[in-house]
Amino acid sequence: MSSASDYCPAYAPFLGFAGAGSAMILSAFGAAYGTAKAGVGISGIGQFRPDLMMKALIPVVMAGIIAVYGLVVAVLTANSLPPTNYSAFTGYVHLASGLATGFSGIAAGYAIGIVGDACVRGYMYQPKLFVGMVLILIFAEVLGLYGLIISLILNTKANNNCQ
Amino acid sequence: MALYGSTYAGYGFGTLVTVVIAYGILDLIVNGRWFNIAYLIETPSPYFWASMGIGLCIGLSVIGAAWGILLTGVSIVGAAVKTPRIRTKNLISIIFCEVVAIYGLIVAIVFSSKLSNAIPVSGWSREALYAGYAMFWAGLTVGMANLACGVCVGVVGSSCALADAADPQLFVKVLVIEIFGSIIGLFGLIVGLLMTGRVTPFK
Repeated sequence: MSSASDYCPAYAPFLGFAGAGSAMILSAFGAAYGTAKAGVGISGIGQFRPDLMMKALIPVVMAGIIAVYGLVVAVLTANSLPPTNYSAFTGYVHLASGLATGFSGIAAGYAIGIVGDACVRGYMYQPKLFVGMVLILIFAEVLGLYGLIISLILNTKANNNCQ
Repeated sequence: MALYGSTYAGYGFGTLVTVVIAYGILDLIVNGRWFNIAYLIETPSPYFWASMGIGLCIGLSVIGAAWGILLTGVSIVGAAVKTPRIRTKNLISIIFCEVVAIYGLIVAIVFSSKLSNAIPVSGWSREALYAGYAMFWAGLTVGMANLACGVCVGVVGSSCALADAADPQLFVKVLVIEIFGSIIGLFGLIVGLLMTGRVTPFK
């Protein structure tokens, strides 16, 4: 009863759950780093220019969006993981989609954190930097979005044909 | 590439790769097969997977909460030396970190209610293996997300205490950042509970 020779082996859900889990875990690390790093910068500028603090919250919001990307992929994957009729192909596809979002999320979160921290400190001295800050943050955010796009494309390829 | 070996992540990743390759070679020598994933994943009983998941869930969540509390608490008492008025208000940051541990506790209790002692007659059923994998990954997800969340809330809470000591009206604005940080743990909780939604207790 070797499981290795059938198309819907019993170990396939392990791979699917690994995909959902890694999407959420790695995005959470990216978002946490981004929020913490940018948060330290924002509280720092608050002592000198408290009026700029509301606009300076943008990096924190964008880091939160990275966590939402991970949540979306994890929920999508976990909802299409039945106990039976789940092929190894679908398992590997879900693993790939989870890793795609996860690693992109970590990278985007790191970028948003470091850029956000530096940009809000500059924004404190020169309020005209706001537009430049938002543009750079958008480019960093879009990296996470690329991972999400690939995950969604991969998710549509799931095929549970057990014959 | 030389730089990678000199960080914790580099050492950890290098060790992982070495262990995986060593396992593969040993398996090849002893059993004559190269890295059979089915054997690696299906042989440990689902109780192993489920129990590891529950243990990691509560363990990692508590590490995250503790790390956050240590980061925040030090800053609160340090800043309160000169401005004692911040003591009581900034306990909110500590409570945000504690809540992360509570998420892990809730999920661990929910999962342990799905663990029941059932001896298999002939091999494990697919549902039982599925339950084991689900609980492992859900527990790991909740634990790791809470770890990240706890450290994040701790760092921001520390900045919150210092900002509050400088200017009392900054407290609420930095608290908004902490709230953004704590939703990460909540997302982990949601995903963990969703993953085990279709899991039935072992029969």
